[in-house]
Amino acid sequence: MNAAIIGQMAISGALMGLVYALIAYGFQLTYATSKSINFGQGELVMLSAFFSLTLTNLGLTHWGLGLSYALMIPGGLLFGALMGLVVERAGVRLALEQKSEGWILLTIIIGLFFFSAAENIWGRDDRPFPTPISADPIHVLGVDVTRLELSVAVGVFAIMGLIELFKRRTLLGKAFEAVAADRDAAELMGISATRTVMLSYGLSGAVAALAGILVSPITTVGPTMASALILKAFSVAVVAGLDSGFGVVLVGMFLGVLESLASYYVGSGWREAPGLILLILALALRPTGVFGKATIRKV
Amino acid sequence: MLRVEDLHAGYGASEVLTGTTLQVKKGTLVALIGANGAGKTTTMRAISGGLRPSRGKVILDGVEVQGMDASRIARAGLAHSPEGRKVFGPLSVEDNLLLGAYTRLPRFFGYGAKAQVDLDRVYELFPRLRDRSKQASGTLSGGEQQMLAIGRALMARPKVMLLDEPSMGLAPVIVQEVFRTIRRLKEEGITLLLVEQFAKSALEVADYAYVMEHGRIAVEGTPAELGRDERVLAAYLG
Repeated sequence: MNAAIIGQMAISGALMGLVYALIAYGFQLTYATSKSINFGQGELVMLSAFFSLTLTNLGLTHWGLGLSYALMIPGGLLFGALMGLVVERAGVRLALEQKSEGWILLTIIIGLFFFSAAENIWGRDDRPFPTPISADPIHVLGVDVTRLELSVAVGVFAIMGLIELFKRRTLLGKAFEAVAADRDAAELMGISATRTVMLSYGLSGAVAALAGILVSPITTVGPTMASALILKAFSVAVVAGLDSGFGVVLVGMFLGVLESLASYYVGSGWREAPGLILLILALALRPTGVFGKATIRKV
Repeated sequence: MLRVEDLHAGYGASEVLTGTTLQVKKGTLVALIGANGAGKTTTMRAISGGLRPSRGKVILDGVEVQGMDASRIARAGLAHSPEGRKVFGPLSVEDNLLLGAYTRLPRFFGYGAKAQVDLDRVYELFPRLRDRSKQASGTLSGGEQQMLAIGRALMARPKVMLLDEPSMGLAPVIVQEVFRTIRRLKEEGITLLLVEQFAKSALEVADYAYVMEHGRIAVEGTPAELGRDERVLAAYLG
């Protein structure tokens, strides 16, 4: 066994795990306010990545890569937020008003729409995503990482930090937390639960878009780019707990490391196995998640 | 200030309120008493929008609000301190209070400064809340949570405040404290509709009272009048 190789695998696994964590965080945002999640979130990641790619290419006809990339990011996030609102309006709101579980099927269907739309607009091929961030390895503490990989970590922590700051420091953010704690009581304060759910879907969409933007330059952009991602993000969300906050970061990195070690030692075909095994174990042993709060009701 | 006319409401097919009519005049304290299941809490919920009335009117300061979302009715000037207190457990005491004034405060920054006067007023009324202002409200005792729920409703500077079962599940000493608080709110001129199990204590503070039976008002009058009513005496004040 070579310690350097293990370290190397662990680092790139952990960085990939942060992307799972980010998407899982998007699940948490909508679950908190509405106890619903978008089962088509993977397609939202993919669609936003394609849109961001087009924005970047559009920018390239006028400016250099650096500026195009920088300008693309807010555009991509806005697009993701808008698509999140579309999902909420078309797939979630009516179902929740009728207290049905219809949002499960509806969000899957909207995801399929997004998938077909992407195939028709951008085609089925995987495309490279241009980035000004260097992919040359730099040496840190005995392992090689690229700036591109590090940009993933920076992006993930930046957006999660910003959203958490928003929730704690602004009154609107506190209202968000109030709806998460007790929707009916929040309404009595004059807080519109419907608008708060919209806000959470918008934020969740922006988070999904950022996941797409961060991961695309490393993988590529294609209609199926998010299918494996989303499954693992879902595992992370369930294993950590849908109300675990930063718990997803730890579980995400853990899963990422586990995956890359599994593919190294057992074979690359086994890459997907740890996520699924963790998911099954979590559902069987601790359905509220490792970091989830078991619900205690005071009577 | 608040008028309820022929209100019908229920859960699914079962109608709980079968034509409730009542009135709360500005600056008065009106008590709504009655047995368990008579429809007191349902009346409160139908007024504040937690439950959509199927018929009838709710008129708040001249505006018909029945059928609106609870959040719109709150913005129209109604504050409802609900049964079971319903404080936001994971949020701090101060955050709970700030959210009580949500409709009047800026959404992003500067809300703390703008709410300071109201915060001080609530803290002066309930000094224990000041001591615990940074504590998660879910960790407070039942009595403290009730003070917080009342304080949170006060923060809205409401035209009308609904107070649902403020003494529920509290120790007798604390219940006395709650009633002292209610008396003080009344002295400050707050318009109050109070639902209480402890009919006797409620009638001691109220200006006017309604007795509910089977989803409608059975008897109404000033506490003195109700005190002379033999049926009321036997059923609620015995």
